[in-house]
Amino acid sequence: MPDANSTANDIGTQYYATQLGIYDEMYATENKVLPYWERFMAALEAMGSEKLELRRREAQRLLRENGVTYNVYGDAQNLTRPWRLDPVPLLISSEEWLVIEAGLKQRAELLNLILKDIYGKQSLLKKGLLPSDLIFGHDGFLHPCVDALQNQQQHLTLYSANLARGPNGRMWVLDDRTQAPSGWGYALENRTVMTRVLPDILRETQVHRLSGFFKAMGKGLAEIAPHHKEDPRIVILTPGPLNETYFEHAYLAAHLGFTLSQGGDLTVRDGRVWLKSLSGLQAVDVILRRVDDSFCDPLEFRSDSQLGVAGLLEIVRRGNVAIANPLGSSILENPGLLAFLPRLAQYFLNQELKLSSVATWWCGQRRERDFVLQNLDSLVIKPINRSLGNHAVFAGELSGKEKEHLRGQILAKPHLFIGQEQVSFSTLPAFIDNHIEPRNAILRNFVVASGGGYVVMPGGLTRVARQKDNFIVSNQAGGISKDTWVLAPEPDKQASSLPQSIRNQLIDAVTEPLTSRAADNLFWVGRYLERIEASTRLLRTILLKLRETFEFKDPIDNECLKILLRTLTQVTGTYPGFVKSDAQLLDAPETELLSLAKDSHRKGSLTANIQALVQAAFNIRDLWSHDTWRSVDNIQRRWQQRAINNEINTEQLQNHLDDLITGIVAFTGLTNENMTREAAWLMLDSGRRLERALALIALLRLTLALRHEDALQNQVLEAVLVTTDSLTIYQRRYRSFIQLPMVLELLLLDETHPRSVAYQLHQLSIHVGALPRGKNQGHLSEEERLILKAYTGLRLCNAHELTKVNPNESRYTDLEHVLSNTAGLLWRIADVIAEAYFSHSQASHLMILKAPEDEL
Amino acid sequence: MKYRITHTTLYHYSQPVGLCQNEARLQPRNFWRQHCDNSRFDIRPLPMDFRERIDFFGNRVTYFAIQQPHTELMVTAISEVTIFPKQNTLDMFNQMTWEQVRSLLQETPWQSQSQSQQGQSQIQDQGLEILVARQYVLDSPMVTITPELAYYAQSSFLPNRPLVDVVHDLMVRIYQDFTYDPTFTTIATPLSDVLNFRRGVCQDFAHLAIGCLRAYGIAARYISGYVETLPEPGTQRLVGADASHAWFSVYIPSIGWLDFDPTNNTVPLDQHITLAWGRDYSDVTPLKGIAYGGGQHTLSVSVDVSRLE
Repeated sequence: MPDANSTANDIGTQYYATQLGIYDEMYATENKVLPYWERFMAALEAMGSEKLELRRREAQRLLRENGVTYNVYGDAQNLTRPWRLDPVPLLISSEEWLVIEAGLKQRAELLNLILKDIYGKQSLLKKGLLPSDLIFGHDGFLHPCVDALQNQQQHLTLYSANLARGPNGRMWVLDDRTQAPSGWGYALENRTVMTRVLPDILRETQVHRLSGFFKAMGKGLAEIAPHHKEDPRIVILTPGPLNETYFEHAYLAAHLGFTLSQGGDLTVRDGRVWLKSLSGLQAVDVILRRVDDSFCDPLEFRSDSQLGVAGLLEIVRRGNVAIANPLGSSILENPGLLAFLPRLAQYFLNQELKLSSVATWWCGQRRERDFVLQNLDSLVIKPINRSLGNHAVFAGELSGKEKEHLRGQILAKPHLFIGQEQVSFSTLPAFIDNHIEPRNAILRNFVVASGGGYVVMPGGLTRVARQKDNFIVSNQAGGISKDTWVLAPEPDKQASSLPQSIRNQLIDAVTEPLTSRAADNLFWVGRYLERIEASTRLLRTILLKLRETFEFKDPIDNECLKILLRTLTQVTGTYPGFVKSDAQLLDAPETELLSLAKDSHRKGSLTANIQALVQAAFNIRDLWSHDTWRSVDNIQRRWQQRAINNEINTEQLQNHLDDLITGIVAFTGLTNENMTREAAWLMLDSGRRLERALALIALLRLTLALRHEDALQNQVLEAVLVTTDSLTIYQRRYRSFIQLPMVLELLLLDETHPRSVAYQLHQLSIHVGALPRGKNQGHLSEEERLILKAYTGLRLCNAHELTKVNPNESRYTDLEHVLSNTAGLLWRIADVIAEAYFSHSQASHLMILKAPEDEL
Repeated sequence: MKYRITHTTLYHYSQPVGLCQNEARLQPRNFWRQHCDNSRFDIRPLPMDFRERIDFFGNRVTYFAIQQPHTELMVTAISEVTIFPKQNTLDMFNQMTWEQVRSLLQETPWQSQSQSQQGQSQIQDQGLEILVARQYVLDSPMVTITPELAYYAQSSFLPNRPLVDVVHDLMVRIYQDFTYDPTFTTIATPLSDVLNFRRGVCQDFAHLAIGCLRAYGIAARYISGYVETLPEPGTQRLVGADASHAWFSVYIPSIGWLDFDPTNNTVPLDQHITLAWGRDYSDVTPLKGIAYGGGQHTLSVSVDVSRLE
C-alpha cells in the first residue's frame, strides 16, 4: 500500500462528499470504500493531483491528435468538439460484471425474438401480448419490412443499452439502442488512451481487455453474410462527416478493416448491392449501418433521403445482403416496450428479466394512463417517438398551464406517451478542477451476436455530467466520458486482434477497394495542398521584396513588387485585390496581404484553403495513418494558434509561413513514405501534380511571359526562382547570370526537376496509366490522350525559340501561347478525371407525380 | 361487369438517367367485390430486374429497375377486371351506432385477453379483424388527427347515430362544402390547407374524410383505383382521357369494410375498380421511382377505363 501521506492528500479524496440517498460506486452500501476502489484511489493519491492533471492533459492531447471528436449539431462554426475523457475510470468487480453480462445477453436474446416476431408472424400482436397501438403507432414500425427479414440469419446483431444504478445499488436499464447504436469506437479509443496515460495502474489492476470483443464483432458481422461467408465484403454505411459520431465510423472502419462508404458510394443493380470503387463495382455482402432506418432506402422509406441506397430493402428481401442492424429495428427503441418486457421474457424464455428496466407506464392502456395522469408531478413523461422538439418532460417542473397542455396531449393520443419513474443515478469519483468529486454517471454497454450467441464488451462507455447533481450526461450537452474497467479474476491472456490463420499458409493480400468518393477527396487533398504551398511560397517572396523596398528604396524593387502583387491576386483568384486597384493599395499592400493569409471567409485565402484541405482529409479520415492524420491536424492547429488567433504583422507572418511550409512538407513526406503506390496514393499525387503544374503556369504567365526592361527582368527572374525553390539549383547548374531561356529550361522543360511543368506532366502520365482505366485498355483513355498531348507539346518546345520576340510587342507571344495551351489541357484533364472516376456520386431524385391525378 | 384498364406513365428527361429503381402498385387486387382476370406490364426500356410481391396491406407491388442509360421511360399496366355488384343494400341500414363501433375498436383484444388470464388462446376471427382495423384508427404519414378535423366532423357525429348514417352524412357534406380544384393542391398540400380553403381533389377529399372519422375513433382506409366515366349523351367516349381515382372505406363490425366516394357523392357499386388500399396515399402510390442523373424531368399520364361487357 503506498503511504497516503500529507502531500498526497491534495487530490481531495478526504473531502469526497457522497450524497444522502444516492448510491456511490466507491462506497456501495457500506460506510467504507470498497477494497478495489481503495487500491485504485491509493494509487491516485500517491500520484498527487498535479501529476494526475498532467496525465489528464496528456489524455486530451492524445485524443485531439488522434482526431477523436464529437460533432455538435447546429454549431457550424465549431463543428467538431474534442472528446473529453476523465482519467478516473468506473471500476466494476468481476462478480458484479457476471450479473450485468448475463442480464445484457438475456435482454439481447429477448429483443432479437421480439424483432423477429414483429416483422414476421406477429404472434405477439395476435395473442394480445403486445398491444397493436404500441407497435403500429410507433414511427419505428416500417410496414415494408414486414416479411422482408426472413432471410436474415440474425435479427439483432448489435445491441447497446444505457445502464444506471439506483439508490438500492441495483443496475437499471434506462433505454435500449438497437437501430444504429454508437459508442463502440469511443470506448475503444478511451481504453487506448488510458493505456498510455495510466499504464502502471492499469497493469496492476487486472482489467479485462477489449480486443477480444472487437474480434468477436468482426466474426459476428462475417457470419451474417448471405454469400462469401469465408471472405465477405463488409462496408460501414455512414451519413457522412457531418454526423455527430463520424469519427467513430471512420475509426471502426479502419480498426475492423471495413470500407467506409456513404449512400452515394453504394448502388443496387442486378439484385445485389455494389460498392462503386475506382476499379468498378464490387459486390457487398454485409452493411454495418450508422444511418437511421427510414433514411436507408429512398424508394421504400423517406423519398427525400440522400443518405441511403434506392432499392436496398428489395435486396434484403431477396436475402442478398445482410444489414446490421436490420432495417426496421428502431421499433425496439420504443420506450413503451419496457413495460412489456417482463411478460415477454416469460413468454419467450420462461425466465425472469435479469436486468430490470426503469419503471414505465404506457398510456395506451386505460389503467396505466390514469396512473400517469394522477402522478404526473413525480414522473418523467416521454413521447414514444423520438424526434426533434419531442423531448422527455419532467412534469413536476412545468407551470400549471403547461401541465394542462401536456395532460391534453396525453388524453388526445394516449398511445404516444409513457410515464417513467424518475431515477437518480449513482455517483462515482471524477477528477474535476484538480479534485476528486462525485458525479452522476451512466454506463453504456455493447453487445454483439457472434458464434451462435451474444458477446458483451467487458467494459463500456461511462459518461458523467459536468455539473454536480446533474443527470444529463449526453455528449450533446457537454458531458465527460470515462473508461470502464471490468476487473478480471486473473490476468487476461494476450489476445491478438488479428485472426488466427493456418500455419505457413501464404495469404493473398487483399486490396481494399477505393470508393469513388474517397478518390475524389484524395484528389482534392492533393490539390489543396499544392494550392496552399504555391500561395505560401509566393507570399513569402513578396514579403521579402516588401522589406527590400523599404530598406533600399530602389524603384526597380518597387516595380518588381507590383508585378508580384498582381500575380498573387491572380494565382489565388482573389479579385479585385491588386489587379485593377489604385496605387494606394499597391503602395501599402500589408492589409491586403494579411487578409489573403488570414481571412477564412475569403475564397482563395490561405486559411480558406487550409480549412478545405482539412475538410477533404477528414472526409476520408479512415484512410490516413495515425501519424499522417496528426500532421494534418498540426497544419491546421498551428496556423490557427499562430496566425489566426493573434494580431500579427507582416514580419510575424513571414515566420508563420515558414512554419506552414514545414507542416506541408511533413505531410507530403509521410504520405510518400507510408502509402502503398495503389489507387489512393495515385489519386492524391495526381491532384498534387495537376495543381502544381497549374500554379506554376499561372506564375510564369504573369511574370516571365511579360517583357520587362533588363534590370527589372533580372529581379523578376530571381523572384520566380526563389518562389519555386529553384534558385540554388539554377546557380549550381548554370553558374551564370539569370537569363530567361535558362530559367524556362529549368522550370518549364526539365523533366528531372520536381518543380518543373514537364516533371508534373511526366508523373501525371505515369499515374494515370496506372489507374484502373489506364491499365485495362488497349487504347488510350481520354485523360491519357490529353496528358500525352500536353506533355508532347512541351517536349517539342525550345527555350530559345520561345523567347524570340518582335521588338514592338509587350509579351513573349510564343511562350504565352504554349503556357495557355498547356493550362487549357490541364483543366480538361481535371474534368475528365473527375468524370471518369468521381461521377458515380450522382445525386438522385424522386420521380413521382407532383400534381395528383384525378377525375371527377 | 368487366373492364379493361390501360394506365400509361411516360417520363421524359433532359439528360440521360443511368439507373432508376421503381415501385408500382398498378395491378388490381382481388377481394370480395372484384376479381382481376389478368394484368400485365409493358415497360420500355425493358427492365433488367422485375419482381412482384404482396405488401403488408395485401396489395400487389411490382419492383423494377432500368439499368441502361435512357432519356425516356414508359410504364404501361393493362388489366382486365370483373366487378361483382353485390354490395348488400341492407348494409346501408345497419343500425350500429358510431359510439358502439368506437368502443368495440377501443376494447383492444389484448385487454380482453388479460382478463381471461389465459395468455395462450387465439383470439377469435372478429378479434383478428378488429386488430387489423385498429391500425386504421391511428395517425398515418399523410393524415394526422387534429382538433380542426374533429370540429369539422362534429355535426355528422350526432349522439347515437348509426355509423353508416354518420359516414353518409359526412360524405354528402364534403361533396357540398368543398370545391373540386385540380389547380389548388399537390401531393404535398397539407390537410389543414384543404380544410381552410375548402378546395382539393379526390385524394384530398379521401384524406379529409379519413381524418374526420379517425378523430372519432373510427377505422378508415384509403383506396386507390379507377372509376368508369360515361360520355355525355350523344358524344363519343374519349380513349385515354380518364385518370386514377381515390376514395375511402370504413370498418363496420359484422359487415366489414364499406366504400364511400366523397368526390362523386356516391357509394361505389360496379363502376369503381380498386387497385390497392392502405392507411393513406403514401401506402399505395401507384408509381414511384428514384432516378440517378436525368436533370429535369416531365411526366404525363393517360388512363383508359373501357367496359368489356
